[in-house]
Amino acid sequence: MTDSEVKAPVVKARNLSKRYGKFRALKGVSFDIPLGRIVGVIGANGAGKTTLLNAVLGLSSYEGELSVLGFNPSKQRSALMKSACFISDVATLPKWMKVSEVLDYVGAVHPKFSRDKAMEFLDRTKVPLNKKIRALSKGMIVQLHLAIVMSIDAKLLVLDEPTLGLDILFRKQFYQSLLEEYFDEERTVIITTHQVGEIEHILTDVMFIKDGELVLEANMEELTQQFIEVMVEPGKEDEARVLAPIMTGTTFGKSTYVFKNVDREKLSKLGETRRLGLADIFVATMTGDGQ
Amino acid sequence: MKTFTALVKREVLDGKNGYIRVPLILTGITLLLLILSTLGLGNVTYSSGMEQEGIHNFGDIMKLAAEGDLSEMSPAIALLYWATTALTWVAFPFVIFFSLLGALYEERRDRSILFWKSMPVADWQEVSAKFFTPLILAPAAFLAVVIAAQLFSALYLSIMMMFQGGPVLDLWPVGLMVRSWFVFFAHYLLWMVWAMPILAWLLFVSSFARRMPFLWAILVPIVLMVSESMFLRSHVIANWIGLHLGGWQEAAFGNGDYNIKRPGDVLNVILGDVQMDGLIYTLSTPQFWLGLVIAAGFIMGAIAMRKRAI
Repeated sequence: MTDSEVKAPVVKARNLSKRYGKFRALKGVSFDIPLGRIVGVIGANGAGKTTLLNAVLGLSSYEGELSVLGFNPSKQRSALMKSACFISDVATLPKWMKVSEVLDYVGAVHPKFSRDKAMEFLDRTKVPLNKKIRALSKGMIVQLHLAIVMSIDAKLLVLDEPTLGLDILFRKQFYQSLLEEYFDEERTVIITTHQVGEIEHILTDVMFIKDGELVLEANMEELTQQFIEVMVEPGKEDEARVLAPIMTGTTFGKSTYVFKNVDREKLSKLGETRRLGLADIFVATMTGDGQ
Repeated sequence: MKTFTALVKREVLDGKNGYIRVPLILTGITLLLLILSTLGLGNVTYSSGMEQEGIHNFGDIMKLAAEGDLSEMSPAIALLYWATTALTWVAFPFVIFFSLLGALYEERRDRSILFWKSMPVADWQEVSAKFFTPLILAPAAFLAVVIAAQLFSALYLSIMMMFQGGPVLDLWPVGLMVRSWFVFFAHYLLWMVWAMPILAWLLFVSSFARRMPFLWAILVPIVLMVSESMFLRSHVIANWIGLHLGGWQEAAFGNGDYNIKRPGDVLNVILGDVQMDGLIYTLSTPQFWLGLVIAAGFIMGAIAMRKRAI
């Protein structure tokens, strides 16, 4: 499509698998993630999202081929971490350290960390520098962690449920500053979260995972155009059913039908149409017919 | 190097209770006891069987001693200062033991390993920082506190002596004191390389134990020792552990003809050729080298475990 496709992908996976004993957490997935994208990895609990991200970050072993920024993550994690960063789970900052000590540490071990930038982010918060992490509120810990990763000049940022347990105000603020102050065409961000609705407006691409398999990999723009929901006017239900809806339901006493890849003009004759939200697309895809 | 310094600094911050507070508190207690005990020395030295004419206080004792053989007195004084810091060293093995046992366990328990792993620091760097900080920096910190305490004791006794009119300068066998500090550290290092397989075992346990690393560390060798003595009626494992925990000294120094008659001789022997004897014995003993190989195995195991730990 564009020039970013010409460049080597940030993440390139071929037949990526992971077993825990007899259980296959990842069943040979293959995908490319180019530079300059914000990719949402969406799946139910236990679908394999974290397994996938752990492999990408070099946190666990895997079978198959995987290249991240040209590195083999399993063998070159520390080299990879110079250009990649992640927040996996909330509250992983060391509780016994003071905020300033954490900043000192990152400054000493990370060549691409800018302390000035971190201070700029922290100045906007109420995070105290001389307190131990243990003494901070849950929200402050996340703010600190985000301030740190956003001050690292990385090419790839992976966020695995970064805002779990935080209130809506924090989450909104976070995604906003991620989009406005961090993301650019030279960086790629991969996010997983349960609050799909909150991230759908910042995503450029999505990957749906189910039972260790990649069910769907799509550009957000194209994807949301494919799915149309129609609130069918009374009496036109039979007409609608002929067009093979992938989901049916009722809202306010009216029948609603979800269509995939059906001409919008045609659908608008049946009733009021609207684009489907990502969460609904996910549900439609996962429940079978939409695949 | 910058990375390693930062790692060591982090380990010191993490372990500062054990490395710094513990020796400070214990030494403080000892010094307090020293001060309290000397309060009595001002005039009460007459206890039954110890009565001597003309001795009324510590100053008089020192005067009497100074009239005798100085080559005996100076080592005795230096040893006295070491004795005042004995309590501090009691805690030391515990600090090492629990530091190593928690090194790779706590970071998994509190999930901070996920933060450490998001930094460009290799697992072997992390593991070596966690192994060598307690082994080198903890004793250095303990020794620094002990040296300060010895100097304080000397200073305190000197001031007391000034009031009581004793020989102040004899309380400062500086050359002996300084040498004893160096020799102490050298001997400690030798001790540590002998104990390396056991210390590395502790680190290895901390890298894999899901819970209760303490029990793993203790029970595995005990079970091995007990089953060996039950089924094979031998004590190879027990002897081997004993050898590496300090038993080597008997072989290294036990055969020497060191001619210890007076307390001063102890220090003279320790500061003399005995260290060289120990080193030569160590380097020429296969058991020592076998221990190092086993230690390397445990450390590589710990690195491999950390690579896959989340």
